[in-house]
Amino acid sequence: MSLKTSTSADGQTVTIEVKGKFDFNFVQDFRSAYSAIEGSIDTIIVDLRETEYMDSSALGMLLNMQKTLSGRVNNIKISNCKPQIKKILQISRFDKKFDID
Amino acid sequence: MLKHDGFDVVLANNGLEALDVYKKEKPDLVLLDVVMPYLDGYETAPLLKELAGEVYLPVIFITALEDQDSLTRCLDVGGDDFLSKPFERVILHAKIKAHARIRDLSQKAFEQKKQLDFYRLKTEREHEIVEHIFQRAFEGNYKAPHLLDFHLSPASMFNGDIMLVELGPTGNLYIMMGDFTGHGLAAAVGTLPVSSSFYSMVQKGLSVGDIAIQINDILLKLLPDDMFCAASIIELNNMGKSLSVWTGGTPDMYLIDNQNDQFTTIESQHMALGILEQDEFDAASMNYSVAKQEQLIVFTDGLVEIMDENGEMFGYERLTELLKQPHYQEIPNIIDELNYFSGGVEQDDDISILSLRCDEVNSNLDQNQYSYSKLPHSFSLTVDAEAIRTSDPVLEVIDMVTLMKGAEEHRSTLYLLLSEAYNNALEHGLLELSSSIKDSDDGFIDYYAQRDDLLNKLTSGHITIEVNYVPEQTSLYFTVTDSGAGFNVDAKKSELDNEDAHGRGFILLQEIASSVEYNAIGNQVKVGYQLNVS
Repeated sequence: MSLKTSTSADGQTVTIEVKGKFDFNFVQDFRSAYSAIEGSIDTIIVDLRETEYMDSSALGMLLNMQKTLSGRVNNIKISNCKPQIKKILQISRFDKKFDID
Repeated sequence: MLKHDGFDVVLANNGLEALDVYKKEKPDLVLLDVVMPYLDGYETAPLLKELAGEVYLPVIFITALEDQDSLTRCLDVGGDDFLSKPFERVILHAKIKAHARIRDLSQKAFEQKKQLDFYRLKTEREHEIVEHIFQRAFEGNYKAPHLLDFHLSPASMFNGDIMLVELGPTGNLYIMMGDFTGHGLAAAVGTLPVSSSFYSMVQKGLSVGDIAIQINDILLKLLPDDMFCAASIIELNNMGKSLSVWTGGTPDMYLIDNQNDQFTTIESQHMALGILEQDEFDAASMNYSVAKQEQLIVFTDGLVEIMDENGEMFGYERLTELLKQPHYQEIPNIIDELNYFSGGVEQDDDISILSLRCDEVNSNLDQNQYSYSKLPHSFSLTVDAEAIRTSDPVLEVIDMVTLMKGAEEHRSTLYLLLSEAYNNALEHGLLELSSSIKDSDDGFIDYYAQRDDLLNKLTSGHITIEVNYVPEQTSLYFTVTDSGAGFNVDAKKSELDNEDAHGRGFILLQEIASSVEYNAIGNQVKVGYQLNVS
């Protein structure tokens, strides 16, 4: 279980990778991953390729991020979701607020 | 006379006897008369030769006949020499010695041939075994015929180029094309560990950079210093909309968009795999947004280094000129052009090229018919305050549940259901936290800080998790009961109609579960989930 943040060479894309269980245990870590961003950037990618589990607290964290960064980021992407994780996001209508691929 | 001279001599009185004696004694040389009873010399000679097999058996006719025809016939039937009676002893000696020498040579040649045959067969067998292993090692499960076209042409029996294709868990398509230093078996051995670790990492869904790190690590340990692997690792997401590429030591790649007349050259970013130590290694990948009409061309250096009869290389310039014409974006047409260029000059490096169409991967990961357990299962566990503080029963219960036939495919979803039910019981039932805390600005963080705080102080109360599987319905039921005071279910439901932010878990439960039932006092929830509907 871990959280990894990386920034692209041009500083315009920040990728947050969540491994294992995406739940309230990450509340602090997840917030500091994006609150360190200064000014505005183009894209935030939340890469869930190694996320096995998530629950509603993860959804809350994602919405909080969107609220905090609104106006400072063009696009928040949720990438590489496993089918069941994708279904959870779709059921929660997250596809309306995030770019899910 | 011969005995006298130190030869071992055996005698036969006629041709038939001669054959018998030959079988028994295996002499090194035969002196034969033409005129004999039962089987004459002309008839005996070819039979003797046949018995002797592959090693040269000198047959020297000794005869009183002197006419040209008889002597010629001696040679025609397989005789090697003749001596007319009467003859000089010295001449007989000389002839025996000369033929013995030839027999010696023939014997040696025969032994060597036997040995060579042995080694040849052994090597062939070994090659067959290795070939078999190699074939198996590179068989991925997925071929992606609608997206991928390729041509692989090893310079010898074993290919030092490697092309691996596999689907990741989210339906993303992963491709690795690698080129080991050199070619032939020596280069090919490195491909074995690479392919097995590639497949296992793709199945975990790692990023191309992480895959590169792992393979670099393996090669660093395995390969001698002067051997390495130039490689490209490519991931096309399942929608066919984004490409992620890690390249090290490879020739340029081309991303071609005919519709918009764009030709993008992707240069190699890093050193080849198997050179840099872990802490020097750079896993950075490049990402491209791609569209349907785009095509990625990847190849190994054997392709541009192929030579014509004057020793001139095919080169990048010729290749890019070709690739700018749609006709030559088809792999078979490129290969035809290459063959035409080289004019049949033998290639001295492995040549590989692939083209990837950027389109939906459409993995056909069909909803295979899973079989479900036919046995009713049920178990329950009760966690007290201490267990609640110190452990995560949700994941452990899910680990147990997914051991059941047909449940593994639903692991994440089952986790979500139980996690929602359990956390509701804990946070609202036992800890008596109010979701309205989440409404304020930093509420979300506050809420979990308070949760942490209250949880640490928790000394009484318990939560019971009951799991039931009903095979007739292929349904699982989680019943979670807490020792708290419960809540007003109807009030909660109407409150949720105005869709505020914190009712998300409640809504998720309703949507994913096949049934959600609360007891009258609101301290127990029973969540159902049907396994055979996705």
